[in-house]
Amino acid sequence: MTSRLQTFLRSSIGKKLLMALTGLSLIGFLVVHLAGNLTLFVDSDGSAMAAYAQKLADLGPLLWIAEAGLLLLFVVHIGLGMRAAMENRDARPSRYKDAAPKGGRSAASVTMIATGVVIGIFVVIHVIDFRLMKGLLAHPDPATLAKVVVARLSTPLGASIYFIAMIALGVHLWHAFQSALQTLGLRHPAYDACIRKTGAGLAVVVAGLFAAFPVLCLIYKGNWPWS
Amino acid sequence: MSAGHDDHGTGGLDLTLHIWRQESSEAEGRFETYPLHGVSPDMSFLEMLDVLNEQLTLEGRDPVAFDHDCREGICGSCGMMINGQAHGPERETATCQLHMRRFKSGDTIFIEPFRARAFPLLKDLVVDRSAFDRIIAKGGFISVNTGSARDANSLPAAKQDADLSMDAAACIGCGACVAACPNAAAMLFVGAKVSHLGLLPQGKPERSRRVLAMVAQMDAEGFGNCGNIYECEAACPKAISVENIARLNRDYLLASATERPSSAQGEGA
Repeated sequence: MTSRLQTFLRSSIGKKLLMALTGLSLIGFLVVHLAGNLTLFVDSDGSAMAAYAQKLADLGPLLWIAEAGLLLLFVVHIGLGMRAAMENRDARPSRYKDAAPKGGRSAASVTMIATGVVIGIFVVIHVIDFRLMKGLLAHPDPATLAKVVVARLSTPLGASIYFIAMIALGVHLWHAFQSALQTLGLRHPAYDACIRKTGAGLAVVVAGLFAAFPVLCLIYKGNWPWS
Repeated sequence: MSAGHDDHGTGGLDLTLHIWRQESSEAEGRFETYPLHGVSPDMSFLEMLDVLNEQLTLEGRDPVAFDHDCREGICGSCGMMINGQAHGPERETATCQLHMRRFKSGDTIFIEPFRARAFPLLKDLVVDRSAFDRIIAKGGFISVNTGSARDANSLPAAKQDADLSMDAAACIGCGACVAACPNAAAMLFVGAKVSHLGLLPQGKPERSRRVLAMVAQMDAEGFGNCGNIYECEAACPKAISVENIARLNRDYLLASATERPSSAQGEGA
């Protein structure tokens, strides 16, 4: 039985399936992460975000398990992507003079590796910055947590890094959702348009809302006019 | 039909061809430039190359090697990259059915072979596509008893399945999908073959074994990985749908999970 799974996972289709499943799981994580982040905008004194952070911190060991799972998702997804990219380069040793698309590709579909690399670099910076160095979750102090986040995102450098990464995320997601479903074999003329629109909508909403953080922080410096 | 709008009334198009010339798989290749005058807009692309080759032969030079056979779009022999597009600019058209009226006098045309590790170059524009034959040999067949033909309609097939199967069967195995794919993947070809046979009752008995064997061979041939970019569908002269790739993914997953080892099938093989 083990060899059956090994054979599957070593095949090009098996690896793609794993790529799709880890990708969809990461989309799920993004949505939850986004929902948590939005607590920043609930009030100007940061107590909503602190309460959310406290809940996460209260999970104790469960949080570590979740984070370990998350790390595994990233490692598998990125590892498979890099490996596929290398295999694909080997599959065409000599290039065409000028390959001209005939209408199949999109800007998003042919830049998955590039946008993936940008997102990957951002994730490393982001985790070091917000998770490891500041230890925000360890001390969810209402007085400082939201302020630290706003301070980070309202510097031109911090905001630019965040904003550019979120654009890359949006482009990545534009292709990702429908591609994952295609890999899972979930395709039918009756649902094609719906799947494409869902993927595009997901990309715009998720990346758009994430990108709104640095923009709003730059403009309002944490004093939201609506709260 | 008018003889094209840009042929300067001299009875033909004047073209500059840049054609990939390579003596053998080991030799160094390069583009060579050939001016060609008075090309009839009613010629097919291959006939235009025939004219060039006549000219080269008369000059005592080596004619350009290219694959061709039926010249009516059904054999899958012809195939080259024309200005960076597999089979040229026309959609749903093989190179033999591409006509020179698609070009203008004064045009420069770059002609290259299909490029993929799994399609080693033999000479000039000719590549070895036996990788496809080896994939077919792994499962592109059905098992039937020989003897007299069965009664027509004795094996019921749903109209929808028959239609989808026929759509997939339109694949002529030309390799344009591999050539056009940025990753040189062969998933559209394999998807078409798996769908063509697996959807019909005659092909059902081997459906699981077929998909497992064909995918294993596809991977062994060194094709790239599918990135769902769908350039294959756009380049396919028969407009094979990428829905066949989804079916291939589905079938492969299912077969991987459910196919019994051959020793347990009691077939003694």
